[in-house]
Amino acid sequence: MEDLLYLYGLIPAEEGGQSLPDLKGFDGIGDIYTIPVGKITAIACNLDSEMYSEEMLKERINNDMEWLQEKAFHHHETVLKLSRIYTIVPLKFCTLYKNQDSLNTAVTTNEAKLISAFDLIKGNEEWNLKIYSDDKLLKKQVSENNPTIEAKKEEINQLSKGRQFFEKKKLDKLIESELEAEKNKISEKIHVGLKEYVLRGDVKKSWSNEVTGRKENMTWNGVYLVSKTKVEPFLEEIQRYEKYMKEDGWKFEATGPWPAYHFTSF
Amino acid sequence: MACLPFYKLLISEDEYMYSVRDTIENKEIGLIDILDVILDKGVALKADLVISIAGVDLVYLDLRLLIASVESLVQAKQEGRKTISSAEFDLEKEALIDATNQPDKWKN
Repeated sequence: MEDLLYLYGLIPAEEGGQSLPDLKGFDGIGDIYTIPVGKITAIACNLDSEMYSEEMLKERINNDMEWLQEKAFHHHETVLKLSRIYTIVPLKFCTLYKNQDSLNTAVTTNEAKLISAFDLIKGNEEWNLKIYSDDKLLKKQVSENNPTIEAKKEEINQLSKGRQFFEKKKLDKLIESELEAEKNKISEKIHVGLKEYVLRGDVKKSWSNEVTGRKENMTWNGVYLVSKTKVEPFLEEIQRYEKYMKEDGWKFEATGPWPAYHFTSF
Repeated sequence: MACLPFYKLLISEDEYMYSVRDTIENKEIGLIDILDVILDKGVALKADLVISIAGVDLVYLDLRLLIASVESLVQAKQEGRKTISSAEFDLEKEALIDATNQPDKWKN
């Protein structure tokens, strides 16, 4: 049976002349290589279709997290190395094609879209900013400084003991929702502030603590397309936020430059 | 005046320090950060990860389930390289399926 093709990324054909670094493919045995498809060059490797069958992939992803971890790192490192050399539209983890014909068809159909994607990302970089907050600390601040909560507290103090008990429970809920609103307001303000330095900025889903394994809550997961010349001021601005907000329980984590996974699609 | 080497006259003191960018680029990236990026195209984060061969979808994975499992593996490793048994894994998996109220996509 024919080998499958594991696709890492797509680059403009005119950049395909630069020699490809020696990199091992997904199975750790074969090499990655280029496949010209008109104005686009694909970077891929072969995979044995029997060893990497649907069942095998299912089984591995289902039951073998070490395998997943190793392969996720492999994908990331390979695309990252390529992104340092080429203008690359990176592919999602485990994008497989049955054969070269099916890859050719997919690339040809999307040629115009790919070319405009190259234009968008050339000379620019993708950066990620995750903002974390210490909610205990923030909750204290909100419950002490928020006018809505202040008013509610006053109101409760006027009530009988029995009513106070129930109203205080309600107050806790109010504090929680005010806290969320406050966190969003602050993060959005930062996001808008950062947009001055970037070409595009999007918001992604924030991860729960079970996923991040951290005690602080992720309040913001932003992704930005930044011109190379603006990266330093963009990061310095984040550092300034960090400096001024650290004591209030905020943490800023920028990572990058990432291949433009978010700002391109295929 | 002390004689400064020529290049020092041209480069300001700031440029001797590492840029913010260098500091960040050299930091180790966590697996979650990588999965957040390579599995997700942003918009489709809530959607399932699709592994496809020639456009035919093969495997649907609930991303939350996947990432939670990876996280527990990372934690298990940190706690003295204890590996999770498949029975424990199945239990966690069931708990997650219950919690997320999603059908068991892991069934063959």
